[in-house]
Amino acid sequence: MPDPHISSPRGPSALRVFTYLFFFGALCFALLAKWMGDVFFLRLATEALIFGGLALSVDLLLGRVGLLPLGQALFFGLGAYVSALVLKEWSASFWLSMGITLCVCAIAGLIGGVIAIRAKGVYFALISFGLAQVISKIVFNTRELGASDGIIGVPAVAVVPGVDSGDPLGFFLVTLVIILGLYVGLRYLMETPMGRQLSAIRVNEHRVPFLGFDPWRFKLMAFVGAACIAGVSGALYPMLRGFVSPELMFFQVSGNAVINVIVGGTGTLIGPLYGSVLLTGLRSVVGSFTAHHQIVIGLLFVMVVILFPRGLVGYLAPLLQNRLNLPTRNRGEL
Amino acid sequence: MDEILSVRGIGVNFGALRAVRDVSFEAQRGKITAVIGPNGAGKSSLFNLISGAIAPSTGQVFFEGGEVTGNSPDKMLRAGLSRSFQITNLFFELPVYENLRLAAQYLEQGRGWLRPVASSAQAEQRVQELIRQFTLHDKANELAGYLSHGEQRRLEIAVSLASRPRMLLLDEPTQGMSHADTRETETLIRNLATEHGLSILLVEHDVDLVMNLSDHVVVMHQGQKLAEGTPEQVRANPQVQAAYFGERQEKASC
Repeated sequence: MPDPHISSPRGPSALRVFTYLFFFGALCFALLAKWMGDVFFLRLATEALIFGGLALSVDLLLGRVGLLPLGQALFFGLGAYVSALVLKEWSASFWLSMGITLCVCAIAGLIGGVIAIRAKGVYFALISFGLAQVISKIVFNTRELGASDGIIGVPAVAVVPGVDSGDPLGFFLVTLVIILGLYVGLRYLMETPMGRQLSAIRVNEHRVPFLGFDPWRFKLMAFVGAACIAGVSGALYPMLRGFVSPELMFFQVSGNAVINVIVGGTGTLIGPLYGSVLLTGLRSVVGSFTAHHQIVIGLLFVMVVILFPRGLVGYLAPLLQNRLNLPTRNRGEL
Repeated sequence: MDEILSVRGIGVNFGALRAVRDVSFEAQRGKITAVIGPNGAGKSSLFNLISGAIAPSTGQVFFEGGEVTGNSPDKMLRAGLSRSFQITNLFFELPVYENLRLAAQYLEQGRGWLRPVASSAQAEQRVQELIRQFTLHDKANELAGYLSHGEQRRLEIAVSLASRPRMLLLDEPTQGMSHADTRETETLIRNLATEHGLSILLVEHDVDLVMNLSDHVVVMHQGQKLAEGTPEQVRANPQVQAAYFGERQEKASC
């Protein structure tokens, strides 16, 4: 029997409070948008959630395993293209499109992982960047995939009876449920031996083989998982916008995802969702005033890195923890 | 005699440097075998060769009759051979409990990887045993990086024991410890061999501790085996006295 004095403390943590706030806030926003008859901000919020999914996949690698992916847009764009092709050329089925995207991204993640996981640190970052560059340029120059124009005219698709991707409120809620599912799945994974082993690799990879485990396999599984999460998120993009373009695989998308993670709070999982909403909103608002909105985003990124190196949620969570006198985190939970 | 580990003609070169040359010895089951030698004698390199941290250039390693030469560290642990490190090598950013749980997860044999950690009953039971054995009750929820040096050294041994290995390689387990902590660790190591039947291979600078603790001693000098035998035989060996004890006496007289 476990010793009660060293048993795991349970109870709400500040990160959970941030999680409830995020998803409750999203529901309140949806109600408000419906009441006001808004479409623009619902579409923008859906896009923010979709890029939030990409940020989640980056946080799995960067925040949990310690691998900096500079080419995660590869899997996001791949998911978007596969989804667009299935919906336009084959069958306008939401679930078929998601299923095929998941399979393709898992295989692509396996191949990419076998290549990239061989390296560590900056070399891993550069290999992931290089892979994304190569594939995006191939897509950019492939006429069958629409070349630089991408694929346009992706039809709206029924998700469940009564809700299709052309319905701003319905598709926002569908996206919210999918992102919530990805988030809850990742949060659960982190509380399993598999997730804890990933954290161990991040903290001290050299020690892990001497515990009887091969870190390479765990890193590969995390890489494949991250590719699937990015791919599923990307698959939602053509349903929202009705088109895909090679730019979805470009470095700017990968870089923005890393910025979303760092601004929101690396390793917190919920932070990247906040980061994505905040920065997607800022890009849109500032972009309506000037075409040079990236300058504002760049300055904000520099300020956050200097003032709050653990990101906004990473900075606020301990404050909330003390303020509300919540129990400290579980043993091993980071 | 029941040998558990057999090292035959092992050696490794680092460029032009022949760090370990043609070293052979056996370690007996349930006994404490020590490797001693002056600084730079090749003790740690020998340890790294046996534990799979580096691949040998020559020679073979046999564990429980099977060849394990050049196996990776995770395969070595799965074979039943675990090790600790000279420079404390823990998950400093994680609590003591989690350090032990990560190591004890091996006992689940790949089951329950995707179930909550609390459902890993064997690992949980092993962690509780180690916490009691190493009296870490008060420290279980502290980060390993916040422990004192002596506590970290003990945790290092506890982590190495979590998988219930049949042989434990201890690389200078009392390095930097106070006199009291050293004596406590000496008792602990002796108990592991006598009460738990664990086979131990020990590298240690503290010659008095080695002579008190060991059943068999291997002396290394300039990458080669200089002598081996019981502590008494080694102590009486003129070559060892010249190469090792002589050096200590010279240091003492300076």
